Amino acid sequence: MQPEFYAEGPAVLIERQERSLIIADPHFGVEADLHRHGLHFQSGTDSRLARLLAVIEQADPDYLIVLGDLKHMIPYVTYQERTEMPEVLRRIRRETQFRLAPGNHDTGLEQYLEKGELLPMNGALIDGTGYFHGHTIPDPSLLGHLILCGHHHPVVNIYDAVGCALRGTPGYLLAEIDPSVWGPVPADPTRVLLVPAFYELAGGMDIRLIPGNKISPIAKAILTETGEVFLKDGTYVAPFTELRPDPLGEV
Amino acid sequence: MTSAIQELKDSLHPKLRAVLEKRGFDEFSEIQMRAVPKLISGINAILIAPTGTGKTESALLPVFHHMLTDPLPDGFSALYITPLRSLNRDMMNRLEWWGAELGLKISVRHGDTTQNDRRKQATHPPDLLITTPESLQAMMMGKVLRKHLAAVRYVIVDEIHELADGKRGAQLSVALERVAELAGEFQRIGISATVGNPEVVGRFLCGKRPCTIVQVPVAKTLDLSVKFAGESFGDQTKLIEKCIDAHTSTLVFTNTRSVAEAIGHALLPRGDTDVHHGSLSREVRIDAEDKFRAGMTRGMICTSSMELGIDIGQIDHVIQFNSPREVARLMQRTGRAGHQIHATSNGMILATGFDDILESMVIVNKAMSNQPENIRPHINAADVIANQIAALAVERGEIAIEKIEQIFSRSFCFENAGPLIREVIAGMEKHYLIRTENGMVITKSRARKYLSLNLSMIADEKKSMIFDVVSRKPVGTLDESFVISWISSGAVFIARGRIWRVLDIDEDKIMVEPAKNAKGELPSWEGEQIPVPFTVAMEVGRLRRLQNFADYRADERSVRFAEKVLSEMKKNRSITSTDKLIVLEDSDEGVVVNLCGGHKVNETIGRVLSILLSARYGTSVGIETNAYRILLRLPKFLRAPDVEEVLLSLEPEHLEAILILALKKTALYKWKLVQIAKKFGAIDADADYEKISMNRLLDLFDGTVIEKEAFRELFFSSMDVESAKTVVAMLKNHGMETKTSRLSIIGAEGLFTGRDVVVPPGEDQAIIESVKHRIDEQDVILACMHCRKWKSKTKVARVPDQPVCPVCGARLIAALKPYEEPAFAALKKKTLSTEEREAETRMMRNANMVLSSGKKAVVALAGRGVGPEAAARILNTFATGDNFYREILKAERKFVQTHRYWG
Repeated sequence: MQPEFYAEGPAVLIERQERSLIIADPHFGVEADLHRHGLHFQSGTDSRLARLLAVIEQADPDYLIVLGDLKHMIPYVTYQERTEMPEVLRRIRRETQFRLAPGNHDTGLEQYLEKGELLPMNGALIDGTGYFHGHTIPDPSLLGHLILCGHHHPVVNIYDAVGCALRGTPGYLLAEIDPSVWGPVPADPTRVLLVPAFYELAGGMDIRLIPGNKISPIAKAILTETGEVFLKDGTYVAPFTELRPDPLGEV
Repeated sequence: MTSAIQELKDSLHPKLRAVLEKRGFDEFSEIQMRAVPKLISGINAILIAPTGTGKTESALLPVFHHMLTDPLPDGFSALYITPLRSLNRDMMNRLEWWGAELGLKISVRHGDTTQNDRRKQATHPPDLLITTPESLQAMMMGKVLRKHLAAVRYVIVDEIHELADGKRGAQLSVALERVAELAGEFQRIGISATVGNPEVVGRFLCGKRPCTIVQVPVAKTLDLSVKFAGESFGDQTKLIEKCIDAHTSTLVFTNTRSVAEAIGHALLPRGDTDVHHGSLSREVRIDAEDKFRAGMTRGMICTSSMELGIDIGQIDHVIQFNSPREVARLMQRTGRAGHQIHATSNGMILATGFDDILESMVIVNKAMSNQPENIRPHINAADVIANQIAALAVERGEIAIEKIEQIFSRSFCFENAGPLIREVIAGMEKHYLIRTENGMVITKSRARKYLSLNLSMIADEKKSMIFDVVSRKPVGTLDESFVISWISSGAVFIARGRIWRVLDIDEDKIMVEPAKNAKGELPSWEGEQIPVPFTVAMEVGRLRRLQNFADYRADERSVRFAEKVLSEMKKNRSITSTDKLIVLEDSDEGVVVNLCGGHKVNETIGRVLSILLSARYGTSVGIETNAYRILLRLPKFLRAPDVEEVLLSLEPEHLEAILILALKKTALYKWKLVQIAKKFGAIDADADYEKISMNRLLDLFDGTVIEKEAFRELFFSSMDVESAKTVVAMLKNHGMETKTSRLSIIGAEGLFTGRDVVVPPGEDQAIIESVKHRIDEQDVILACMHCRKWKSKTKVARVPDQPVCPVCGARLIAALKPYEEPAFAALKKKTLSTEEREAETRMMRNANMVLSSGKKAVVALAGRGVGPEAAARILNTFATGDNFYREILKAERKFVQTHRYWG
């Protein structure tokens, strides 16, 4: 298997028998919600979709797999989503096959999907790799494999000698997890790759704060000593345990 | 009674004459004599005269005359606009009597006016309405009140200098044109303090209409001096007490509320002083004013809240504690003393330190020779345009764009706005405030709500209190837009000259603890900071150079203190910076650039230097500025000569472009951008920013008119780009020189209050920095491939430039990863398996590389998944420095994308 990182997504391509392009959490239609919270901006769907289509064109995958939160509003479908979602899906389908590992924001989206596009809530194993959103316990069939998940919106902060030099840039966390609390454990280790959000306005969660966090069962199961951190272009930053701490955390 | 006075009286309406008679008004002040006849003729005018010489009457007598003479329309005949509610109240108290005597209805309307009074004003409109610019905005939203405004014939703007200088004024200038739309042309009268450029104030009030300036200079009635108040606070308050004791009634002005409080607290036991500033409740302030007016207190400690003409009775002495920073401010403040015609105003500055003494001396001289600063109205402020377009759209439902352009073009602040107006309209449409159709702007449902929340152009932001959990004391306040764009748990910022780390954020409280490391990165916005202008700071530099203290009006102790500091400098072999010399000094914290440029110029040059240093050396640079020095927080390897080199390489014409780059990532810019986005209606005043990356959201403003306005305002208000260019040009033509030195006592003077950190351009730098750190910390096994007896585990950072085997002295040392240790041990066997032989070959290659390239090879080989082949490729590029690490990163990235890695 060989991954390719597309920083402009962020997106990652996994190639085994087939080429699968993966993005997480694009949150199409978020502007309606921003509007309700006092932030008045035009729909970013066009530019977000254009960015996605550009990555698809570059990667030329057999599948696009979206790791959940394709749409934004919970628990219903907004006017913006109703009018935009069909077009977004149509344009994606024109380029490649499409799979969605449904996320907690994807309520009401089924009506726009075609048969076979929607993966099970607890994820699916495709071509030897597990894919799921990440807010639930993964399906037992995924254990013992590499699992890609979204939901966490991981970001990296990098500090230099004077202060923080790079704040909140999207990044990947690769780590083994301990799935023993969920049931029988397979012989092979289970690794997860937390994929950063495609949604560019995501506030994001500092990678250092994800392991052990209540945000998901996965986060709680991460074995930090196996963790490794990458930037969105695949640049290796450091082992998780050696992430340079906030320089002022030591006060 | 002279004939001129009689003539003036005769020109007035008989009823008005009778009332003057009754009041015992038998003398007119100079301003009244000159202004009244002109105003009766109906012309527009700006009146400038010392406080307390009856400026208000000179504006109102002609207006009253006309209101009595001409038939009164139904509605407001006259508007009297002041910048403050307290002035409104004061004015109401003064005019009540006149109204009753003349049979004119006078009323006041502002934020504090009760619903009941508002209703009365709508059903029975007063003839003269006293109001604020913001209430005027609110009134134009209502149908009935708009009808009353259609009757306006006279508008008086009091303390107009205060408004003309800001965005409130820009908004008011459009509001006046909107009133003119309703009422037709009216007479415009402005009442102003002394300013350097009264003609601009006139154009601000009237646009292209003719406007006359009637001016009685303040300076000739001023008597000012500087006194050294001692270095301890105890000495200082003692001196203040002495001054209070020597006069019947004294005003003590301070520059900040906290100093006012501190002095007020020290004087509390006397029982005859009060404190007066903007943070106190209205009741407390009114009580203090009343007591002072009644002579129950003889000292009032106050801030700019007392600067404007609130009538608090007789004042015979004014003390300014610390330098007033600006000439106009000193003239305005001391002008409050001697509230009588022909009396001189006595004022004294109590100065407390070297900078303070010299600055005070310069300002006193400039005030005595009548050189106040110029008023600078905001020209083409895009957020004001947006605000007033929304107002027009709400007022009319729909309005032609051409009509909008026509209204704006009559205001001085927007007469050359040109295509900007359509640009703003397009922007507003994008944020769903209005829509357009066939050249018409049409209101949307949001617009009314937006408008009622944005009647004021004052960024009256929610303030969050900073609370130190260690000392359990509040530290100060931060503006909300600053908090949302920068503050999060763990974030660090500087406030009150100290570095704080955020522990937790409450509703409106930020819990912090002191942070030890000098790694601050955020500014706190000091709302109360009054900037020292370039002209004043440069003259301070000149005074430092010439040391002609005798030409200034300071007491002996002040001069002695200043001379002591200068001779101390000489003794230490320090160099004093002047108007012709910039001294760059090395300190533990970084480099201090001593530049007598004033706050705004130093801010400008400091930011330019920091972005250039940051770009050149790939490090973050912290900056802090005051009027006479810039502190650049730098890594240890950067010293004064490095900064000097960058300073001397500057070209005046490049400053603006560099600044745009420099500001983009700063807290200052983001703070301003949020503020303007709010005024523009893109972000609601009460927006919820949770779960959103504010930084990325702000990227959406790239290239928009909102971004443009943020830069315009920063360059105009927070910086002084023009004067900074002058400084740079002087460095070029040797009108100014530079020198480097160790930290001097002048360089170290003054508490630094924190500002910003400039981040190196691009993310690249930070990443490389972090990779360097990671590799340095990495474990490496050094193993001798010659004798094969020695191996040692260490960290990459500790590996010498050319490792040598301590056992056999060979330099054939392999740099292995910890997991390769067993493979090295296996080499001792007599016979090796195929795999072991392969490993041996790899290790030999590895060692040969270390032999020829030394530590550089060790570093390359320490890269994640970098074997001898990849390391050879890296070394073959001959890249050095950052580029070398870039090559390592590239190799690592490649490795991550291999099958081996993912299994």
